[in-house]
Amino acid sequence: MHLELVVQLVINGLLLGGVFALAALGLNIIFGVTRIVNLAHGQLIILTALICSTLFQRFNITPLEVLPLAVIAGMGVGTVLERTLLRRLPEHQQTAETTSLLITFGVSYFLIGLSLAIFTGDFRSVGYLTSSWTIGGVDIAKAQFLAFALALFLAAILAVLLRSTPVGRALRAASQNVDGARACGIDIDQMRTLSFTLGIGIAAAAGCLLSMIYAYNPDTGSQFTLIAFSIVVLGGRGSYAGSVLGAALLGLAVSFVGFYGNTHLGSMMPYVVFILVLLFRPQGILGKAVA
Amino acid sequence: MTQRTLGITILALLFLGAVAIPFTGNGYILSLFYTSALFTGLAYGWNIISGYAGYLSFGQITFFGIGAYIVAIGTTRFHAPWYLCALVAGVFCAALAVPMGWLMLRLKGPFFALGMLGLAQSLRISTDLIPWTGGADGIYLPPGSNGVQVYYWTLAVLILAIVLTATIDRNAFGLRLRALREDERAAGTLGVDTTTTKVKAFILSAIIPALLGGGYAWYLTYVEPSSIYSTEIELQTVAMAILGGMGTLWGPFVGGILMSQISQALSTKFPQTHLMIFGALVVALLLALPRGIVPTVVDKLQGKRKPPEPEPAPLAQTEVVT
Repeated sequence: MHLELVVQLVINGLLLGGVFALAALGLNIIFGVTRIVNLAHGQLIILTALICSTLFQRFNITPLEVLPLAVIAGMGVGTVLERTLLRRLPEHQQTAETTSLLITFGVSYFLIGLSLAIFTGDFRSVGYLTSSWTIGGVDIAKAQFLAFALALFLAAILAVLLRSTPVGRALRAASQNVDGARACGIDIDQMRTLSFTLGIGIAAAAGCLLSMIYAYNPDTGSQFTLIAFSIVVLGGRGSYAGSVLGAALLGLAVSFVGFYGNTHLGSMMPYVVFILVLLFRPQGILGKAVA
Repeated sequence: MTQRTLGITILALLFLGAVAIPFTGNGYILSLFYTSALFTGLAYGWNIISGYAGYLSFGQITFFGIGAYIVAIGTTRFHAPWYLCALVAGVFCAALAVPMGWLMLRLKGPFFALGMLGLAQSLRISTDLIPWTGGADGIYLPPGSNGVQVYYWTLAVLILAIVLTATIDRNAFGLRLRALREDERAAGTLGVDTTTTKVKAFILSAIIPALLGGGYAWYLTYVEPSSIYSTEIELQTVAMAILGGMGTLWGPFVGGILMSQISQALSTKFPQTHLMIFGALVVALLLALPRGIVPTVVDKLQGKRKPPEPEPAPLAQTEVVT
């Protein structure tokens, strides 16, 4: 049936979008507060996924069991990263932008090397929960669904954290207007560190979930940096709801184009969307116009 | 003036030595020198758009890849001489850079950098969709020992790139590029046609990797998407140009020669972990010498003669108050 096919494609796209959203949220939080585009974001996601696949193969530890530890480790890595490498950036905004790009670029290079040294260049995946449910002729892969549900759950926790706690409000204030936030007595340096703590923690979670639904090798990291960044651009910089919406749209685009065009066109969608949005609606769907 | 003569003499001697390398008949040494010349040339190409014009690009490998594929297809399908194909690749990429640059150079900062990376990635993925490329299987070129030919070709392109950069370094076009880098809007107000200027720089930064990529295909005698649109080549090139000193005449030279030697030494000593060590080295050097080797050394040397320039007034601070 035609309708079933469309429903199937929509479900596949949305399930994929869930994990994309998590990847993008971390990047967006960091970008919002610090104006740093973390080029190592995808590499950190993939490194976590590679660790998950090894733990699963060697010791039969599932990615779900790794998840809480990975988030804590990711938060640690994020904190250290900001404190050691990205603390003292030049005052001049354009120079700061270039310097931070170069440093995160160097970090991503290091991480590719690290992942290649430990895990080689082979493609890996986790063969956990490979079966699927069939409801009315539509297949729902269990692993995909689980990853999606957990991604939504984590995004919801994050939303509560950002909206209803004093720290979360301070973080959003720093993201919206640095000088205003500083005038209100918010410690901007602390918020910058916190954005990395949270952002990389979420990236680690995304990596765990991704490990169940994707095949990856150390080189796929830059693809995920690009996917995450194009979602941030699509949804609107600094808009967290926009990131979730953007991720869903991108997931749908990959799913539909991949089926009706071909898989190559499908995996090109993030770049196509990225360039089109930047050229025609640079503020994104839910973003405010940038002066 | 004497300093300049000295520089030219040293450079001429270096190239004389480089030209003599194939006569040693040692294939390993030839490959070492070829790699150094290749990366230094790529770093020079990258330096024009990213160093002088300030548009950080992570996608110049696109032109390198197109150049390699044009040579591969030209030599196997049309049995044309490879250097002719490489020249065609240079012309083709120059033409391609006009619409591409016009479109992409509207983006700024991280958006341009990642946009270019995305472009290179989508081209790598879409190789399957382009006829004659052989898709993921790649193309085998006629086998043979092409090392010496390609080595001289690469040296010639490198010299071209250095001469080009030396010209830009001191002419009005170079000044316009630097004005653009410092403040695009101000440069526009002062009468610089910003779009034309940056597209021109982009064209130059496309021709050099295209010519080098053409040689690379003939050298490897095999092209395949992931080894041609190689992230590793791109990353190394960018790292070399940055560490040498972006937007300087000798930065890519120092960075390219030094880092390609270090990188090759590391890869023979530590075959498993060389990328990681190289990456750590890149980060460490970035933190220690954020502006690169050449500007830092030049400052040290000149510091003895010239008093340091006064700190520029923090303009950004004054805007914020309103």
